[in-house]
Amino acid sequence: MSTKLIELGPHQLALEEPMYFRVKLEGDRVADLDVLPGQVHRGMEHLVMRRNFYQNITLLERLCSLCSNSHPSTFCAAVEEVAGITIPERAEYLRAVADEIKRIASHLFCCAVQANVIGETALFRRVMEVREIMQRAKEAIYGNRMDLAANVIGGVRYDLSVEGAAYLARQMEAMKQPLDELYLQYSNNPALLVRMAGVGVLPRAAAREYAVVGPVARGCGIDYDVRKKSPYGAYDRLEFEVAVQEGGDVRARNLVRLAEARQSVSLIEQCLAQLPAGPLCADTLPEIPAGEAIAKSEAPRGELMYYLRTDGSDMPVRLKWRVPSYMNWDALKVMLKGEPVANIPLIVNSIDPCIACTDR
Amino acid sequence: MHIQAEENAIVPVRLFRINTGSCNGCDVELAVTSAVTEFDVEQLGCRYTEAAREADILLITGPLTVRAREEVLRLYAETPQDKVTVAVGVCPVSGGVFRDSYAVDGPLERHLPVDVNIPGCPPRPQALLAGIAEALELRRARREGGAPVRRALPVDNFPARGRLSYDAGSCVDCRICRHVCAAGAIRFEEGETGVSLTLWHNSCVFCGLCSHYCPTGALSVTGDWRLDHPAADAFRQVERGEVPYAPCVGCGEPIIPAAPQLLHAAFRRPNPDIERLKSLCPACRQQMSIGVPRR
Ligand code: SF4
Ligand code: SF4
Repeated sequence: MSTKLIELGPHQLALEEPMYFRVKLEGDRVADLDVLPGQVHRGMEHLVMRRNFYQNITLLERLCSLCSNSHPSTFCAAVEEVAGITIPERAEYLRAVADEIKRIASHLFCCAVQANVIGETALFRRVMEVREIMQRAKEAIYGNRMDLAANVIGGVRYDLSVEGAAYLARQMEAMKQPLDELYLQYSNNPALLVRMAGVGVLPRAAAREYAVVGPVARGCGIDYDVRKKSPYGAYDRLEFEVAVQEGGDVRARNLVRLAEARQSVSLIEQCLAQLPAGPLCADTLPEIPAGEAIAKSEAPRGELMYYLRTDGSDMPVRLKWRVPSYMNWDALKVMLKGEPVANIPLIVNSIDPCIACTDR
Repeated sequence: MHIQAEENAIVPVRLFRINTGSCNGCDVELAVTSAVTEFDVEQLGCRYTEAAREADILLITGPLTVRAREEVLRLYAETPQDKVTVAVGVCPVSGGVFRDSYAVDGPLERHLPVDVNIPGCPPRPQALLAGIAEALELRRARREGGAPVRRALPVDNFPARGRLSYDAGSCVDCRICRHVCAAGAIRFEEGETGVSLTLWHNSCVFCGLCSHYCPTGALSVTGDWRLDHPAADAFRQVERGEVPYAPCVGCGEPIIPAAPQLLHAAFRRPNPDIERLKSLCPACRQQMSIGVPRR
């Protein structure tokens, strides 16, 4: 059998981001692959050490736009831990609202792109139209469709008025039926089944070995969600079930995402129903003392960890991340092995790789 | 929003996108302009292509990382001579929040000529369409001769975070805005007659943090999102104002008087004695409070 090496980039893989792969083929099947990273390396670790805590909130929101709220909220949680700040209860709920809105939009974007990759253009457009309900809600409430600017150290800097909450509740209502319908489509539509079921399989043992997280792990039957395992913010007061699928294939990952999007709707509704009155932010910002902290959260792509070290000045002396895509894209080696070349773009997109997060 | 194309071009104008290392915000919003009917570039007679050599309009996102440079320039070299190049988002123009990193090699203009800028972080789809329409107009003008015409757009009153506005009258020169700005978009300069603030719309990422911390509301976020402009005008896209010095009523030293908004924020109901504080220099204020200047 003939062996050859090919290089694939964003324009062949239908990726929004510049990710390059070197793929070793045997015949027309994938034998191995190397990820060629670094195109989106913006020197974040260097930049955060040259920006003060305030500036870092805005900078980190732009570490990646698809999980843009997870970064500043997890960063703020780490700073608050170091400084011993307890944020107001209302702020905890409002952070959860922002995170869940972003989760819905992020998951839908991933499902849409995959439909496009397999030539299901009508479905692609349909999912993107449904996602627009969230995009509009984000712009109406936060003033931007991607970067919400919701967090400050000590709480949040946006509020939901009575009308704002009612508006958001209506948008949530409008999401329910389309999300249920999309779940059925991704579950049963024969055209999707043919392309997604049994494709890009990651066996559970390999999933554990590669320590994958997020929908990639839950699609392999691994019941791990930071919101449940170590609840932060308001999550210990909110009810939801961890979405798990057994298949380990492209289909399973998408069903996890769509089930989670539907749960996010319910989580937001619970937040609106329970939203306590009170301040949005701790009044005065205390000095940030020397110290270190780890904060973690469930970003749309899985567990996100922040390690922060401070020295009493107003800039971090160290900030390190473990982002979910890092483990997930390593496991692509397993998912792609033996797959035909034509399946590469779909499988790569099925892990929802975030290059901006990983290259930093 | 629908922008009507003036002529129904039979051959669509082809758009080609290059991501030079963005946070993906601009790229995801560009994807919306290929997927969502309301914002579809089709309404402008355009279509996306995946082949650089077909690019009539080149859309570039991201701050241009060192690592991506070679690939970006290779793709750029494949594009036709007569394309129009558009910088999408503030990243390619100023580096946005990523400026001053060893890993970033912008601004883009150092490496290749840019025709149109679309500020935003990310720009909303309406702003992307407006910028693409501007690029189309430039393309038409280049082919047919004549000057490009800037089209009026339907105004929507959506509360998007747009251009920052500065009111020097309520500024107290505390400079907290500059301190919190991640993008380095704000500069203060001490001149002969006062202190001036300049805010660059091509650096600003529209986060609103400056206005959040501004104690007097001198900086505010407006809903004005239509900021696309010819790249040659980049340095004119600023907000500027000067806070004039006034002599201290105690000793005559030129000082920046405190704005009434600050006194109200600090004292709720200022009495005439407190009002007098605003026109005193720090030394004279100390004199008034404790009888002697502190050393
Ligand atoms: S301009 Fe803003 S949204 Fe666009 S790529 Fe840069 S940081 Fe991201
Ligand atoms: S909104 Fe203000 S703080 Fe934010 S980038 Fe613009 S000038 Fe800087």
